Formats: sequence, structure tokens, C-alpha cells
Amino acid sequence: MGRSRGKKKGSEEFEPREVDDFDGGKAGRKKRRRSEFVDDVAEEEEEEEREYRAGKRRRSKRKSGLQYLDWEAVVDDDEEEDQEDEEGFDDDFIENGSADILDKDDAIQTHRSFLVDSEDDEEEDIEALEKRVQERYGKRDLELDEEPTEVEQQALLPTIRDPKLWRVTCVNGHEREVAFCLMQKSIDEGSQLQIRSAVALDHIKNYIYVEADKEAHVKEACKGLCKINSKQIMLVPLKEMTDVLSVKTKAVHLSRGAWVRMRNGMYKGELAKVVDIDNVRQKVTVKLFPSNNLRALGDGVSKKNDFHITPRSKDGFLLKEVSFRSVNACSVHPTIDELEKFLHSSHIEDGDMANLLSLSTNRKKAQFFKGDRVIVVKGDLKNLKGWVEKVEEDNIHVKPDVGYHLDYLVMSPKELCKYFEPGNHVKIICGAAEGTTGFVASVEGHLVNIISDTTKELLQVFADHVMEISEAASGVDQIEDFELHNLVQLDDSSFGVIIHIENESFQASFMIWCKVLKGIPGKAVVEIVKLGNIRCKLDGIKYQTKDQLNHQLSVNDLVKVVEGVWRGRTGKILHIYKGNLFIYDHHHLENAGFMCAKSQSCILLAGGSRATNNWNGENTSSCSRVHLSQQRSSRGCSSMNARGRYGVQQERDALIGAFIKIREGVYKGHKGRVKNIKGKNVQVELEAQMRVVLGKFFDELSNLLF
Amino acid sequence: MFFHIVLERNMQLHPRHFGRDLRDKLVSKLMKDVEGTCSGRHGFVVAITGIESVGKGLIRDGTGFVTFPVKYLCVVFRPFKGEILEAVVTMVNKMGFFAEAGPVQIFVSNHLIPDDMEFQSGDVPNYTTSDGSVKIQKDSEVRLKIIGTRVDATEIFCIGTIKDDFLGVISDPGSTS
Repeated sequence: MGRSRGKKKGSEEFEPREVDDFDGGKAGRKKRRRSEFVDDVAEEEEEEEREYRAGKRRRSKRKSGLQYLDWEAVVDDDEEEDQEDEEGFDDDFIENGSADILDKDDAIQTHRSFLVDSEDDEEEDIEALEKRVQERYGKRDLELDEEPTEVEQQALLPTIRDPKLWRVTCVNGHEREVAFCLMQKSIDEGSQLQIRSAVALDHIKNYIYVEADKEAHVKEACKGLCKINSKQIMLVPLKEMTDVLSVKTKAVHLSRGAWVRMRNGMYKGELAKVVDIDNVRQKVTVKLFPSNNLRALGDGVSKKNDFHITPRSKDGFLLKEVSFRSVNACSVHPTIDELEKFLHSSHIEDGDMANLLSLSTNRKKAQFFKGDRVIVVKGDLKNLKGWVEKVEEDNIHVKPDVGYHLDYLVMSPKELCKYFEPGNHVKIICGAAEGTTGFVASVEGHLVNIISDTTKELLQVFADHVMEISEAASGVDQIEDFELHNLVQLDDSSFGVIIHIENESFQASFMIWCKVLKGIPGKAVVEIVKLGNIRCKLDGIKYQTKDQLNHQLSVNDLVKVVEGVWRGRTGKILHIYKGNLFIYDHHHLENAGFMCAKSQSCILLAGGSRATNNWNGENTSSCSRVHLSQQRSSRGCSSMNARGRYGVQQERDALIGAFIKIREGVYKGHKGRVKNIKGKNVQVELEAQMRVVLGKFFDELSNLLF
Repeated sequence: MFFHIVLERNMQLHPRHFGRDLRDKLVSKLMKDVEGTCSGRHGFVVAITGIESVGKGLIRDGTGFVTFPVKYLCVVFRPFKGEILEAVVTMVNKMGFFAEAGPVQIFVSNHLIPDDMEFQSGDVPNYTTSDGSVKIQKDSEVRLKIIGTRVDATEIFCIGTIKDDFLGVISDPGSTS
């Protein structure tokens, strides 16, 4: 701990000064009153001055250690010294017991005399001073020059003979206060208080540490302090004593040019590049592109000023010096957008590759799998292509494509990069677009351009984040119950088709959202909706609707839009809802090929089997309506078959307009016609009562009798 | 590539068609059902050219429907990687252009269009060389090479390139008209 030692040292060091001034001790005291009068002229008379000084000195020494504190604090900046001074200061208090309170004048004089004292000393016994200084600081300089060796450090470790350290519980948030209380107590009680020191650490809540020989001493000291729970005193084991007061610094591996993320402050989450590192001051200079500039500006006028004074380098980057702790160096995955920002702003035309290479040094160890196609990016074998044969911890066995008689080459993952050729079907396995599949359109070094299967958009990702797949999964197309292209209800009045699903991971918080094309005919209103805001899926609900020429329309029919903004477009009906059609046209890229139109503004093209049937005069059984009529004519016997042949959806579809009898509930026995089906609810127009009732029947279909 | 192959399919026929022209009904239903469809394995069924054999029908319990195993000859079209096709451009945008070769849709990304061709937006979006001699716009005919195919159960989608020798525009609608 060195604290008790420090104390001893401290008191020793005070000795010479005292002795130095002691020469005229008692005489000085006697003459003191006189010297007070001649105070101003005293400087001329050396002897008198000496006497006066000595007297003053003694007095002040006895009165308080205030001057020491004052002076030492100015001189010293070393931690150890500070500690010593503190101890010395404490000692004074303890020695003097109840200190007289200095009146103001006295205090000023004391101070002044001390000033004079030092000036005189300089002239008079400068050698003594030098010696003193040497004594005091010489040793420390040496220590500074040479790093303390391991053995020396070991010698400083506490032993069983040293006072022990006790952990004392106190009220949360009052740690410092308690420590001060103990200090005050030690001033008041002096040597009666047998604890050596007390320390409150900022990073340790609820506890303070007290250095004492015995537990009883701690208990005694804590007596009467209401913020301390003196029952909960614990001995800190010898081995752990050093840990209490040593501050562990996490090993931060930062290197110039590395990518980091800001951990806090205005630029939290921003990507930054390390420009300079100051290990001594634990500071790092980062270059960042303040993209949330505007947002912060919008936050308030007060912040505005900050922006005017922010220093910028030429390229528009913000250079900022921050402490090691406020940057996050591990697991930083810069996105392409962020990197591009850096690239654009620094106006490096041919810097792309350099930048990407620097990135590759920072990159996460790429995951290679057996069978991956790889290319060597470093070393003699650069540009050699091959297949991954075997993956070991740090080595990857690569079977080269050409020429070599070797079975395989052993490479480190850093020398390799995944290799893709245009046309490969791949899946993105990392980053924002995770799960998306697509074709490789082109490859630029570490970057791969991918054409997404679902949106036909171009995505730029790192080769490391891509994996070749054979299956044609269409990317993220399902979240919980909802799938891409599902018709969903948003609120009471609005509905739409999911045209895009994305799960976005930002700062470890996942957000799943999807784009929904709202069902407003003739308009393309796309809304970004969070998963929670989707009320329900509107599947299995089929409305009867007719086109402009009064032809029946059903899902999968081919229609042509003849009115409105989409005029001239043709497409397949994917959903029908309340007289609106959601038409899918693969030639039409915006909104993922979807458009919403009124059924009245469309005409049916040839296509669905249904259409031809209608024209042929409803002569086949594929029309549900016709089927129903058949059912009605031969009620009972065929209904089971019908149910078996068609899915529930078609069953529901068929039910609209059907003549039913209610089997259970209030309206038991009533006959009626099905008006509408919404989810699990059926609207039934009762025959007898001239009203429409809503029933929940669909779970128990058997409740319905045709 | 086109193939002339024999495929088999179980056809269900409603009892009301049973009679003299059962076979005709069967064939017409087969044509209606099969032509124009796409199977991941064989590609697009373009046309049925003949019936190899019609097996013995099996009456389904309860429904009265009869299932016939039918073997038929048909022409199928299946695009392959590396295949050169001639296609008609259907849409041009800044990401590239879409072309159709019969039932197959092919996307040519702007990365796979020669570098000297640049996208020109406007009324008729197109890709034009710097000297304006070659222009790709809607209804242009292009020769392209397929570099990737995605085969779903019901769809085949292709990625093509025109960044190779002898590929590109073969007839320009602007110049002919």
C-alpha cells in the first residue's frame, strides 16, 4: 500500500525544515510581540528577522498545517508526493490536537512571513535549500528516469505486518462524504483515532476502504457516523489489497488508420479513422465525418455554436482528440456507405484500392468454408485462384486451379479473399442486407456488386460478407407471420401489400420494418411500417369484383389498367380487396412491381381459366359460384366433397352469397345469406329479420349448414 | 436451348367428358394446363407436339374423377449459363436493362454493359455509346450471353452480359423505322 510508509516519509521530510528554522526558537517567541510591530522593517535586520521568523514559524507550525498544504500543493504534482503531503497535513492536525483558530491577520502574516522566508533562504543559505530540494526531489527524478523494476515493485507490496485494509459499507452516493467525515474525525480526535487512512474510490459504489491494524479500530472510527454500516466490515485479503487502489486499464489495441466507432457524445456511433495516437496521455486523434451534423443543428440553437467552433481539416473531416475510452475499436464493421463517404470526401481517385486494403487489415477474420472459391490477394502467389480444401484454426488449405503439382497450399486467411465471378448466385451473410440473395454483377477488389433477386436493386457489399449458394431464396421475405407480397391491414381504413422487408441492425438494436404499398387506387403511396404496426394479414379473403366490362375478376387473372396513372400497364392480380386490385407487373420496377387500381378501371385480358369459363357461359365446375349453385340444388350430399376438393380459401370464397342456417348462439335456427367474410367473421343477412348480423363461425365450419 | 422431350403427367378428367371425344378433351385440357408453364427442371413448356401414350384411367373414390397418366412430346425451352441468346429489350433503367427471349426474362446490369455505353435518361431511356452509333433502348434487339440463372419452381430468371465480343445490339428500332 505504501500509505503508512508514505506517512512516515512525510513526517521525516518535514523535520529538516523545522530544524532549519529552529535556531532562535524560544527567544523568538519572547520577542514576538515586538517583531510584530516592526513587521515591515524587519527585513533589514537579519537577526531579528530570523528570530521573528522562527517564532512565527513555530507558532504557525503549531497552529495548523495550512501553509504546508498551500505550498506543497503548488510545488508538487506527483501523485506520491501529494499523498505524502496529505499525510503530513493530517499529521499536523493530529499532533496539534485541537487547533487554535487563527485570526485573520495572523493568517495573513503567517503566509507573508513564509513568503519572505523563502526569499531570504534563497539568498542566505542557498546551499541548504539546494540540498533540501535535492533530498526532496532528487530521488524522485531518479525514479522517473528509470522504470521501477519488478523486484522493487514486489518489495512495495503489502505484507502481513502492514496495516490491513477494511472494506466498509456505506450509503450509496455518500462515499466521499463518509471519507471526509472520517478525516474530520481524525482532526478532531487526533491520535485517539487509530485508523491509518480512509479512501473513497469513485468507481466503487457503496463502499469505502479504511486502513487500520484491527477491526476494532475501524469500528471505533465508524462509530457515530450514520452513513456507515459498521456491522458490515470486511477484511480485504492481502492479495487483493493492491487491486483496490490500482486502476486497471483495458488493453486497447489501436493503430493508425484503424476504424473505430465513437462511443459517446455527439458523434456516438459514428465511424472514425484513427489519425494519431498519444499513448502517454491516453488520447487518440480521430478523423470523422460528422453526418449527424444537421440533426444536431436541428436539436437546438445552443448546440449551434459548437459547430462554428469545431475545427475541420481541409477535406471536411472533423479532427477530434478523444480519450481511448470514448472510442470502440473492436468489432467495427464499416458499411460501404460510410467508407464511401470517407472516400468521396478525401478526393482520392485511385485511393479505392488502398483504402480497401487498409480496410482489409482491419477486417474481421473472414469466414471461409470448404468449397469456397478464393483468390490470393497478398504475397508471391497473388491473383492465384483456388478452392478451399480444408479450414483450420489459422490456416486455410487451398487447392489451386492451375499448374501446381502440390495437393494444396497452406495460406493464412489474411492472404485470401473470397472470389466471385459475375453471374454467381450468392447470399449476403453479414451486414444490413443480410439474407438477401442475388446475382453477382461485377467484382471490384474486395467489393462485390450484387443484383438482388427480389428488388433488382444493386447492392454493394464486401466479398467477405457474401456466400455462394445454389438455392434461390429470395432474401428476407418473411417476418413472423408476414411474408413478402402479403396483403395486410394497417389500421381501420388502410391496407396494403408488403413490398419490402428489412431487418436493420444498428447499434445492436434490431429493427424490423417493411415497406407497404398502401391500397389507394391510382396512387403509389409507400409507407414504412414497423412490424408491430401491422394489424393483421388479410389472407384468404376474397372479394367478388368485376372489371369495367362486368367480367368477374379473381386472383391470378391477367388484367390491363385502362384508366389512371397506370394506364396501359398489364399485370397479374395478386390481391383483391374491397374492389381494389393489387396488380403485379414484373416490367414495372418501382414499388417492387406492384400497383393498386380500382377494379372498375381495369379490363380482364385472357388468362385465368376462370375468365374463359365465364365467357363460355359458366359451364365448368371451376367457378366457385357455379359450384355453389350446384351445391344448393343438391344440398347436403356434395357439400362434403366440395370441401374436400377445394381448400379452405376457396370454401370461404364460395360461402359468400351462400344460403346458410345458423346452428348455435342467439340466432340459432335462423336462415340467411352470407354477405361478407372478414377473417373469422361472417356477415349473415337473416332472412326472417331483415337485418345483417355478424357471427364468428369460421373456426367451427361445421356450424354452418347449407 | 430448346429440347424436344417426352414428359409425363397425370390428368384428372371430369366424368362428364367421358364419351366419344374423351381423348380430344384430354389433349385439349393437357394443352391448356401445360403449355406456357415453367418447371425448374425442364424449363418452359413451349408447345405440345404429340401424345405418346395415354395410360389406363383410374377412377378416384368419391369424386368420380378419372386420372389418366399421359405421356406427351413437347418442346421445352431452358436457358443455360453461358448460352448466347437473342432477346428483345423490354425496359431500360439506370441499373441496366431487361430483355425477354420468349418467356425468359433476362436482366443485364449496367456493370455488364460495355463501359463506353452510358445511361441517358429522358423520354426514352437508353444506353448509348459516346459517339452515339450504338443505342440500346426499349424494343432493341440484343444478343447477349447468360451468365447466371435462377431457377425457381415456377420461374426462371437470368442475368446476362453484353460485355463480350460479338454481343450487343443486333437491330435498332430507331434505325429500322
